[in-house]
Amino acid sequence: MFLQLAAAPALLGAEETPSYKIVTPFHAAAEHPYRGQVSQVHSETVIDPATEHVDKPSVDRMLSAGMTSLTGQKSERDAWASFFNAIDVVGIKVNCSGAPVMCATPEVVGAVVRNLMAVGVKATNIYIYERFLDQLTSVHYDRHVPQGVNIFAIETPRGSLLNYDPKVYVETSFFGEDDTRSCMARLVTERCTKIVNLPNAKEHQAAGVTGCLKNMAYGDYSNVARSHMREKTNTLSFIGTLASVEPLRSKVVLNVMDGIRGVWHGGPFSEAKKYRFYPKTMMFGTDPIAMDRLLLEMIEAKRKAEGAPSLFNRSMDLIDRAPDAHLDFHKNTFIREPGHIEYAAKQFDMGEYDLAKIKIAHVEA
Amino acid sequence: MLAALLLPSLLAGGTDAPPDAVSLIEPKVLYRVNEASATRAPWLQANGWRILRSPSRTFIYRVKGPAAALAAAEAFAFGARALISTDATGEAAFAPMLDFLKSLPATEAAPAADFGVIDDKTDVSAELLNLLTRSNLLYKIERMPDPALNINVRVGTPEYPLAEAKNPGTMAHKIRAQLGDDNRSLRIYGSETVVARLLTGSGGARVMLLNYSGRPVLGMRVRVKGVYAKAELRAFGLDAAKASDWTTDATGTEFTVPELRAFAVIDLN
Repeated sequence: MFLQLAAAPALLGAEETPSYKIVTPFHAAAEHPYRGQVSQVHSETVIDPATEHVDKPSVDRMLSAGMTSLTGQKSERDAWASFFNAIDVVGIKVNCSGAPVMCATPEVVGAVVRNLMAVGVKATNIYIYERFLDQLTSVHYDRHVPQGVNIFAIETPRGSLLNYDPKVYVETSFFGEDDTRSCMARLVTERCTKIVNLPNAKEHQAAGVTGCLKNMAYGDYSNVARSHMREKTNTLSFIGTLASVEPLRSKVVLNVMDGIRGVWHGGPFSEAKKYRFYPKTMMFGTDPIAMDRLLLEMIEAKRKAEGAPSLFNRSMDLIDRAPDAHLDFHKNTFIREPGHIEYAAKQFDMGEYDLAKIKIAHVEA
Repeated sequence: MLAALLLPSLLAGGTDAPPDAVSLIEPKVLYRVNEASATRAPWLQANGWRILRSPSRTFIYRVKGPAAALAAAEAFAFGARALISTDATGEAAFAPMLDFLKSLPATEAAPAADFGVIDDKTDVSAELLNLLTRSNLLYKIERMPDPALNINVRVGTPEYPLAEAKNPGTMAHKIRAQLGDDNRSLRIYGSETVVARLLTGSGGARVMLLNYSGRPVLGMRVRVKGVYAKAELRAFGLDAAKASDWTTDATGTEFTVPELRAFAVIDLN
């Protein structure tokens, strides 16, 4: 049993970093290729903002362009084959917290599944998964993938720990809570050999943005909401700490960020359509830090264009704990922690944060 | 441990409770969905601390329906001499629980305590005992500080000022911090609606888990200080329940209770 005490030093303006105990018997696998590289693909035709109708052929072109651009392979099949093979059991970590509208676009998930099967991965060895059943089933991914593909909710019913691995966890106390452990999903530790991480491009009221790291961290562990119970949250250090733990870190071999739609305020949910926007963009990479860094730029630019406060604004004057405060973009429920990306970069060396060192391949599909 | 073997009984219809019997409240969870709170933790309406405070008294629960079963389990877990006054539905719920309690093997193990509390019988101390019990911090009530314990809490002393104790949650957190989670004899993970008891002795231990929520807790993780080789899980309402994901390390033993309904007992050897 590997046990690591991650008592991180104060970084990035954090008042006090909690002490984390990481327990896992797993060790790091080989480093992912393409550090600091992001393939950013845009398609003007992929969605009609008025109706939110998604154009499937455009999605397919975006995936093909993104994967070949990232890998340098000539064919889409070869690009996928450079990550996956017939013996893999592949998890697709979707994000359904804003479902049924704001979630991993079903056409994207369907295309990922088709590409996995094209390189030999069996349908029964593919798991589209999320933590909560009600959110997951509301999307109806089953209508977009072949029979046999598993659609799996980890926490069924909510609060059940049966599908979490009690031997792989991060232990910390934020405010004296009784349950101090967050356990990793058994699907990750026991079943999947590889994972495609498929976050959305969203602002997050506590974390600043919810991208690759957040989707890995809060989507694969139990008992995570405790990090943002109060105005001042612990998302700064908790997100990266969770995402850095093996085997999750090594098994996430590919990140596909779905920015066909986005949320620039009130995330991770999408109660107000007025805060959705349509970047018509997808990002492909293996480096979650680099991709999240670009997501920060995207959301911050949109907020600036709309006249909303910066994600980095920590003024208590913005804080309003009323239940519907997040529907006003001048307010927020929490002090956002967009620094969680830089924290993970510095603390765990999970990727490239420096914009000047991130190589972006812009592709029009 | 004779007290742990006391079985609750029904108060026959039309019969008065003994005049000196201490009334207990209905054990349950009060979910405070519309109430702002720091932790969103549900409020447990539990009686363990009342029983521990007056171990020689007779107690009476006046409850209706399924609460009779949980009342019986609570009384048993805390070693109370208890009567239960209930309706026909409650009697139907009580009967299988009584059968379950009767089926449990006797044990000589005694309640484990990680610290002591000197009870001055005030309301402030009462609420502190309530919070400590609900937080699964294992204490024993004492008249004088026990030198064998590292922590002896007496409200009103410089270390535990009365003003501080008037916020019992804060005081409970302080005691927990002084004790250190790693030094606790018992930890549970996965529910805020379960109260645990631990009995130890003769090379074994008994963990008792009371679920106040009215719905099953799935996958509760239990950590007990000390290294044990095997566990026998008996879960009310479930046949052939088995503890899973067994692990041990230098200081403790851990296992998972796959499903916990109202009550479960785990004997460790």
